[in-house]
Amino acid sequence: MSLNLSGVYSPIFLKTRRTFLKSTFCTTALIVLPKSELFGAVPILETIALVQEDLLPSIRKLDINSSSYLSLILHHSRVADDEKEFLRNGVQWLNEEAVLHYKHPYIKLSSSQRQNILQIISKQRWGDNWIYTMLTYIVEATLSDPIYGANRDGAGLKWLEHIPGLPQPKEPYL
Amino acid sequence: MIYDICIIGSGAGGAPIAYELSNAGFNVLVLEKGKDYKEEDFNKDELAVCRREIFTPPLKEEQHVINERDADGSITRYEGSKYNWNFWNGSMVGGSSNLMSGFFHRMKPNDFKLKSVYGEIDGANVVDWPISYEDLEPYYAEIEKIVGVSGKIVKHRFLEPRSTPDFPYPALAVNGITQYFDEACKSLAYESIPTPRAILPLNALGRQGCSYSNFCGSYGCATGAKGSARAALLQRCSATIITEAFVYKLESDDKKVTKAHYYDKNRVSHIVDAKIFVVAAQAIESSRLLLNSKNEFFPNGLSNNSGQVGKNLIFSAGGVGSGRFTFESLSKQKELMQAGLFFNRSLQDWYEYEDNDKKYKGGTIDFLFEHTNIISRATKEFYDENGELIWGEKLSAKIHKNLTTSRVLTFEVFNDWLPSDYCFVSVDEKIKDKFDMPVGAINLYGHPHDIKVGTHLANKAVKVLQEMGASDISMSISSSPPPNLVAGGCRFGIDPKTSVLDTNCKAHELQNLYVTDASFMPTGGSVPYTWTIYANSFRVAKHLVSRLNALNNY
Ligand SMILES: Cc1cc2nc3c(=O)[nH]c(=O)nc-3n(C[C@H](O)[C@H](O)[C@H](O)COP(=O)(O)OP(=O)(O)OC[C@H]3O[C@@H](n4cnc5c(N)ncnc54)[C@H](O)[C@@H]3O)c2cc1C
Ligand code: SF4
Repeated sequence: MSLNLSGVYSPIFLKTRRTFLKSTFCTTALIVLPKSELFGAVPILETIALVQEDLLPSIRKLDINSSSYLSLILHHSRVADDEKEFLRNGVQWLNEEAVLHYKHPYIKLSSSQRQNILQIISKQRWGDNWIYTMLTYIVEATLSDPIYGANRDGAGLKWLEHIPGLPQPKEPYL
Repeated sequence: MIYDICIIGSGAGGAPIAYELSNAGFNVLVLEKGKDYKEEDFNKDELAVCRREIFTPPLKEEQHVINERDADGSITRYEGSKYNWNFWNGSMVGGSSNLMSGFFHRMKPNDFKLKSVYGEIDGANVVDWPISYEDLEPYYAEIEKIVGVSGKIVKHRFLEPRSTPDFPYPALAVNGITQYFDEACKSLAYESIPTPRAILPLNALGRQGCSYSNFCGSYGCATGAKGSARAALLQRCSATIITEAFVYKLESDDKKVTKAHYYDKNRVSHIVDAKIFVVAAQAIESSRLLLNSKNEFFPNGLSNNSGQVGKNLIFSAGGVGSGRFTFESLSKQKELMQAGLFFNRSLQDWYEYEDNDKKYKGGTIDFLFEHTNIISRATKEFYDENGELIWGEKLSAKIHKNLTTSRVLTFEVFNDWLPSDYCFVSVDEKIKDKFDMPVGAINLYGHPHDIKVGTHLANKAVKVLQEMGASDISMSISSSPPPNLVAGGCRFGIDPKTSVLDTNCKAHELQNLYVTDASFMPTGGSVPYTWTIYANSFRVAKHLVSRLNALNNY
């Protein structure tokens, strides 16, 4: 069901409920899954960059620097530690799934194999949440004010014919 | 230095006191936990404002605990920081009023006497107010002029009596699509009302008129047109404001509050002396401050020997809904996509209604365009029609189509959240904030009656969307509390056993303690609260002027 809280009802509330589901999951999942050797071996940002293109191919055409935006998020003072850990752990679990099915980490797979893996993880609760979270940050990068450096020349905003609100920020909030 | 008056919290509840008392020549101090921002500091950075929540405290430093009561009576405890669930709204000079959308409706005469008019409801603590609409009307009228309310009066069945014929400021410009709304309402025999807004349509009161920035709710106003407590009141008075001052305790003897203790941003503690103390830290935090200020005279919290502090917490009940207008179905594409202009239409036909021969208190429906926030709109497209998460080209195409060739009209339903024994503020036994103070605990319960009424109203709103030819119509009425529309906790009333404050919003148990945010409201009316908070605070300010005059001449 889609909620469209927008005017008087606080939009913060809408976000809360969704994040709320994720957090419930997060705490249990972290305990259940063991650490993997793979984590050290696979370059996390390279995997993230590829997953991001697989999730929203438009970012390549629009030249959105979505992976550097995600590293900004992974160091952001206002992003909860749990969320950062979940993003990182997700990369590990994604690779575990890739190795389980194709004996190679995600970045070594073909495009259709990667889509298969995404399909497989999306059927699991953590995977559904992780993809959702990744998508959220990809969209943030794509539609952020150009001042953040990810959405160069506002290409993402032009893609959606969006007129930014005025005044625009003079500096990024980190 | 002894101030005449010390106000804790500079939002809609605190600012009118600062404005009126300093303009009357008194020595006023405001202690505000947040920072000061001016018009030039505000921008429309969705990431900073809406996603990283720049104007509210980080939850790892300050949080709430939520104890949610289910229908079977079981209680689930949520630590806010773990679930990203919080009730912060805007910590800054002017409080959350800086971020409001400024939908302004007055309460109606019957809202002041819910119990006498509509009777008791099982499991709810419904009462009449100790004052009437007539007592508050002059202050509603004053706010229209001082804060600036724009609109156009349309006569309808539930129009409240007014001392002036119309608003002092003409209605804001609206999108061409409202014409279809008005026509749809006409054919359904509903009365379409232009929504009054606390927004100046033109330069006035030393502030600029609205620039139709398209990013109003949740954002600070860069023109000063929005009637925030800061732009309309605090920037127009000489009260001293200390920012980044978190008041953690009020000290008292058995009769009076003697000192306010606050931490500055370096966590250095300071003390303030004043003749009168006014708490206006927004409903939940005001009760929390009193509960955290217990001492030998008030072992259960300040002015809480009655056990009433924190009780009968309420929110706006109701919910939201929406419908989509697509280019294919609507020929007026250019009008539909006009940026910036407001929709500004409300319905109050069912402020009171009958169902199966029973009289119900209903409410208000406001219609507005979906918020322009592009990131949040794009994230709503992540699921397909079967509720499956989608990505790749399919998602790109869906986002592009829905955001460039259609527009969503939303509605918000406001009805009474019935006060009950199960919905109240306490302080948590285990969790403390960064100042080492117990955090506020919100004990949540929504009465089933609220959902029944909300659904009745939402069904009417859906009819309008259908009549207008919208697609993807949905609605969601629930007992999830909107954290920004909160009231109660320190009810005013005549009986000190069942209320915290007297008719003037002075604590029954202390001679110089007042609470002037929405905490005083025993029931909330079926409208957003801010106009009533402002009006009541101006009413209390008038009382305080004469009280301080008497004190100072003594
Ligand atoms: C996005 C959004 C949209 C809204 N839209 C509408 C609308 O359209 N119509 C409407 O009527 N209402 C709307 N509101 C609600 C409106 O903002 C509130 O009703 C109103 O501001 C409440 O006034 P208040 O004085 O109780 O609290 P606030 O205005 O929030 O002020 C409380 C102040 O107290 C400070 N404070 C808290 N604790 C302490 C402490 N211990 N020491 C010192 N200072 C403290 C806070 O930092 C804050 O600045 C909206 C709110 C939001 C967030
Ligand atoms: S300029 Fe107008 S639309 Fe923009 S924030 Fe101010 S009041 Fe709202």
